[in-house]
Amino acid sequence: MATDRPRSVRRPSPALVIWSSIALFGVLFALLTYQLAAGRPAPPRPVVVRKVVKRRVVTTIVPTPGRNSVSTSAAVSSESGALAAAPVTTGAS
Amino acid sequence: MSEHDVVFDAMGSHVRLLIGEPGPGMAPAPAAAEMARKFIVEFDRALSRFKPESELCAFNADPRERVPASELLRAAVRAGIAAAERSGGLVDPTLVGEIETAGYVASRAGVPGAPLGAALEEAPERRPAGPNPAQAWRRFEVDERRGTISRPPGIRFDSGGAGKGLAADLVAEKLRGYSRFIVDCGGDIRIGGANALLTPYEVFVEHPLTGERAFVLKLSSGAVATSGLNVRIWRDERGRYSHHLLDPATGEPAWTGLIGATALGDTAVEAETLAKAALLSGPDGGHEVLAERGGLLVHDDGRIETVGPLAARPRVRIPDLAATR
Repeated sequence: MATDRPRSVRRPSPALVIWSSIALFGVLFALLTYQLAAGRPAPPRPVVVRKVVKRRVVTTIVPTPGRNSVSTSAAVSSESGALAAAPVTTGAS
Repeated sequence: MSEHDVVFDAMGSHVRLLIGEPGPGMAPAPAAAEMARKFIVEFDRALSRFKPESELCAFNADPRERVPASELLRAAVRAGIAAAERSGGLVDPTLVGEIETAGYVASRAGVPGAPLGAALEEAPERRPAGPNPAQAWRRFEVDERRGTISRPPGIRFDSGGAGKGLAADLVAEKLRGYSRFIVDCGGDIRIGGANALLTPYEVFVEHPLTGERAFVLKLSSGAVATSGLNVRIWRDERGRYSHHLLDPATGEPAWTGLIGATALGDTAVEAETLAKAALLSGPDGGHEVLAERGGLLVHDDGRIETVGPLAARPRVRIPDLAATR
């Protein structure tokens, strides 16, 4: 009767495993390092350039007879309801 | 919303009262207006330097150093001293002799003023006014406990500097509780009432040269007052133009480069003080005086300058469609 002999399994030598691991680690480390070194900062946020147009309303004061016309930036406020029947005026007295 | 509107003459000017709805238990607006009118007439009777029978004239003529005084006169002197302190002596209530020398001896109520434009052409070189080094107003002392006023006899007091503002403030105190009100004593205006906060009053500022509307203020509380050269201006005995706003440093009418100033304030006395001080300070100084509370300056050439909070009005933006195409 023939008896099967167990096949002998060749196991890699410990030195090979160690050096292979170190080599793989080195390759991966080098790859990551390269990627980090070559990495670029995040792209800047896009700047929207808008043109702002301001217009100032200028009121012209009625010129004094015999004097030069004068313009000022005095604005007239808007009308509002429910106010006194006749205007209230402040002036020299 | 209804308001009772009363106009009458007192203190050499027009007075106007606008009174809204009364609070619970308060007198109707017409009754309140009549009470306020009587108070102002009495105020004028007691504190006018043009009425020989007034308490003010009696006080000024009193040879005693310490003089018993009514609550009204004590309040007027306190207001005058406060105005002088606030203005660094520019609004000086003791220039009675100087104003009489300038020709303002009797009331000028109803007397048309001389043409301001012509006066400006003949006026001397413009320069800011300054305080009187003597500072006689510091010699006044009000004793509320004794009900007296003391000062060196001979120093006279003029209620004109803060009188109308004080009258407006005192009437405003009496109208507290009404829905809204305006007390206008010759352009020294006090505004109050909860409803005025919701619907502000419009107050027109009169241009001293043209007499037209120069600016519109929307006010919901506080006070506004205007000081100007255009009303009480005349030719003196020497034919020179003169007016009622004196330079305390010289005792002469002040020609500062400004012909009008309008000031905002918490009280009418404060606004009146700031307006006078601004006008007397000239263009540069006036700008500083009005910077905190806001106001308007009217220059000799008629130009109007807004100052402080009034100058910081929001700008009106109108999109320019053509520019965006």
